[in-house]
Amino acid sequence: MTVSMDKSASPEQPVEPPPASGALRRRSRSAVARSSGGDRSLLVLLGLVLLAAGVLVALLAYGVFGTARAGRPLLDPVVVDLLRAQPLVARLVAIAAGLLLLVLGLTRAARSLRPERKPDLVIDRGPTTAITVSSSAAADALAAQAAELPGVGRARARMVGTEDAPALRVWVWLADDADVRDVLEKLHGQVLTSARTSLGLVALPVAVRLELDQSTAGPRVA
Amino acid sequence: MRVLLRVLAPLLGLALAAVGVLLVIEVVAAWVRTPATTGLLVPWPDWRASLEALTWANTPVPAIAIGVAVLGLLLLLVGLLARRHDIALSSPAPEVTVTTSPRVLARLVGRRVRAADGVAAASVTATGRKVSVGAQAWNDAGPELRGSVTSTVDELLDELPLARRPRVAVTVQERKGPR
Repeated sequence: MTVSMDKSASPEQPVEPPPASGALRRRSRSAVARSSGGDRSLLVLLGLVLLAAGVLVALLAYGVFGTARAGRPLLDPVVVDLLRAQPLVARLVAIAAGLLLLVLGLTRAARSLRPERKPDLVIDRGPTTAITVSSSAAADALAAQAAELPGVGRARARMVGTEDAPALRVWVWLADDADVRDVLEKLHGQVLTSARTSLGLVALPVAVRLELDQSTAGPRVA
Repeated sequence: MRVLLRVLAPLLGLALAAVGVLLVIEVVAAWVRTPATTGLLVPWPDWRASLEALTWANTPVPAIAIGVAVLGLLLLLVGLLARRHDIALSSPAPEVTVTTSPRVLARLVGRRVRAADGVAAASVTATGRKVSVGAQAWNDAGPELRGSVTSTVDELLDELPLARRPRVAVTVQERKGPR
């Protein structure tokens, strides 16, 4: 359709080579779910710092590092004198630490609160015009096709990733009598392949999530 | 665990940001307003007085330190344990990743086991590595039920294109009373 017309109008444009299969595998793996790596590393880091500080202070308090050291005040005069000797350095370090905490904390909070992206599919990026398919249109069309496969009760899909590297996440609810291998083969061979060709995409990594449809069978005890 | 992570992470990020803001404000305020006798937002001169009077061995310090260490350990555990427990299935192509949840595998196994002859009820726990089946047998079922349940589960696992085959553990209990 429009896509093929545009492509024939500019035949000198080099065709993008498909990405390596390793990159595709990685993209489809990361499309399985929203990454929580950042959140987890924040918690692990904070937990380690608090654990180390707590243990060290407790050891100090119980006199493991010497009873004389345990008897010193929390705000040691030695430390205070050191800070007083270099007031400018102390202030600048404190301000830098505060700004660092502010930036780190805000970016972390913003990242974990921000909804996951739904990139639109850019089919043809011309110099003046670009053809895009909205993320919900592409995902809904694909989900509708997947839901019609034998053995699939219902299906849902959404686009994930970035506009430059989009990927698809599909949830498939299997019916009671579904043959999982057959469903996966058909999903790949029919639905995903036809979606790639009809959308004119070189590659579209996909993460499939299998779920079970609510059992519609009668009572177990007849 | 993952819900806890989703709630805790932004809260901790905001708390860190708040600490940073307070630190910057107080340091700048103390720098500009000389001599600074009171804090702008935080009563730090009072804190300083009490910190100077308190030694490391005084009563609240060890208890607070232990509390902080326990809190740190809890955060560490949440961070380490809040991973996904997906079960990977072998995919038809490299650009397709197929996963499912342990719950789905357990339901599939449970449905198959409960349909088997001689099984009154069954409970199934599944992870990517192990499928444990606890079956209740009718009291007229023979001793060969454990083997037949195991082969039923094995058959189901053969049908599923699992990337890694979990071990199967079956225990059979006899149910008292008439069928």
